[in-house]
Amino acid sequence: MDSILLILRDYGTLLLVGQYPNGPLGGLAVTLLLSLLGLTLAFPIGVVMALARLSPFRWLRWPAIALVYVARGVPLLMFIFWVYFFVPLLIGRTVTGFTTMVVTLVIYQAAYLSEIVRSGIEGMPKGQAEAARALGLSYIQTMRRVILPQALYNMIPALVSQFVSTIKETSLGYVISVNEVTFAAMQINSSLMTQPFQVYFILAAIYFCLCFSLTQLARFLEGRITSRREGSRQSVVAVVSPSTTTTATAA
Amino acid sequence: MNFSKKPLITFRDVSKWYGEYRALSSISADVHKGEVVVVCGPSGSGKSTLIRTVNRLEEIQSGAIHFDGKDVHASSVDINKFRSQVGFVFQSFNLFPHLSVAQNIMLGPVNVRKQRRAEARTRALELLDRVGLASKVDAFPGQLSGGQQQRVAIARALAMDPPVMLFDEPTSALDPEMVGEVLQVMKSLARDGMTMMCVTHEMNFAREVANRVWFMDQGSLVEVGVPDEFFSKPTSERARKFLSDLRTH
Repeated sequence: MDSILLILRDYGTLLLVGQYPNGPLGGLAVTLLLSLLGLTLAFPIGVVMALARLSPFRWLRWPAIALVYVARGVPLLMFIFWVYFFVPLLIGRTVTGFTTMVVTLVIYQAAYLSEIVRSGIEGMPKGQAEAARALGLSYIQTMRRVILPQALYNMIPALVSQFVSTIKETSLGYVISVNEVTFAAMQINSSLMTQPFQVYFILAAIYFCLCFSLTQLARFLEGRITSRREGSRQSVVAVVSPSTTTTATAA
Repeated sequence: MNFSKKPLITFRDVSKWYGEYRALSSISADVHKGEVVVVCGPSGSGKSTLIRTVNRLEEIQSGAIHFDGKDVHASSVDINKFRSQVGFVFQSFNLFPHLSVAQNIMLGPVNVRKQRRAEARTRALELLDRVGLASKVDAFPGQLSGGQQQRVAIARALAMDPPVMLFDEPTSALDPEMVGEVLQVMKSLARDGMTMMCVTHEMNFAREVANRVWFMDQGSLVEVGVPDEFFSKPTSERARKFLSDLRTH
């Protein structure tokens, strides 16, 4: 335990922010940045890809399907190497490891997220879209106002798992020397030489806290939405009518 | 009753197939302005399919449906604008469970008609008052009974000020004790001169409110008549059988 505290005392800042402000930003800060960018960019792209996959137009559907199959069929590590080595050839200049990692994560996660979103959309009762279209809402308005709010809410557990795995996958950045928290831990381990257990214990604890807080946050948000939609149900039933059959409707 | 000469909805030789199965075969009929038409017939006779072709929830393979002189199934029709002029009430209510009662009613006016929220909410309150649910304005659908949900669904359709309302078995999913409250709202609409087309098994409603009864069987429109005549002396054998089957229940 003492040795863990000692490591934290000596290398705490390296784990948190890398060499910043005297050098480049690194450590946990970069992990957070990668995760944040990965999530916020991959999510909307995943939704668009899901809509593309459900589109009646072949030219929209096929690229989305292809991307999903490629992402699912190739290990992420392989994907990282591909982006790292071939994108510079393609665009004619080098890209940083950080950019490579963001691009890879976004494509990879968007593909997985799109499958979750698609199943959420397809799981919606047909009547919801019909009712919206019957009011005169366009396809886009129907998706935005009626289908997606419900489909995404239903898919929160699956989406959160995917978000959590995004956070964990940022650790693969170390293979292309992205200066994130795993990379920092490797550096610490090689300078200490004798305490791999303690170093990697700290690293594991950091990831666990990160992922755990995200799932807790998601649970909190889900609970808030649920209680807003039906939280007062019990009290309404109790006041209006003691019979529970009145609420047992085809909602 | 006197109806204007020009029909509001005309069906001409409307046919629809699901593969080999012919769901609608050569339906021709008119709905006039201010008229209440009740469509009845055994299950699987194509009643719901027919009513769903009017606002193009179902496509047709041949024939034509004109609404106010316009060909509904023409590719040039702005389908969203057209649908916003046709109120549709579903068997399963289809309220949006993530939106409050007021938001359900305001969704169309705000998004399709671009009304201001405040204006749309005022109108929503009026409509809720009309269906007797003013106190539920901020409730969510999950907190309402089936009958209440269906009345909100009617208010939601009315919010677009449609010249015609279509009802697709509006009381079939309800517990018996809630059927009355929904029929009451429909009767008051009919009294106010709303043009209505209702698919329903409520024969008392047909007798009381309908100007005309359409009897369908196996995808065909077998008989059209005024309620008194239809119920007392149906001309077709199939209608006689349908009515006697109803009475034995």
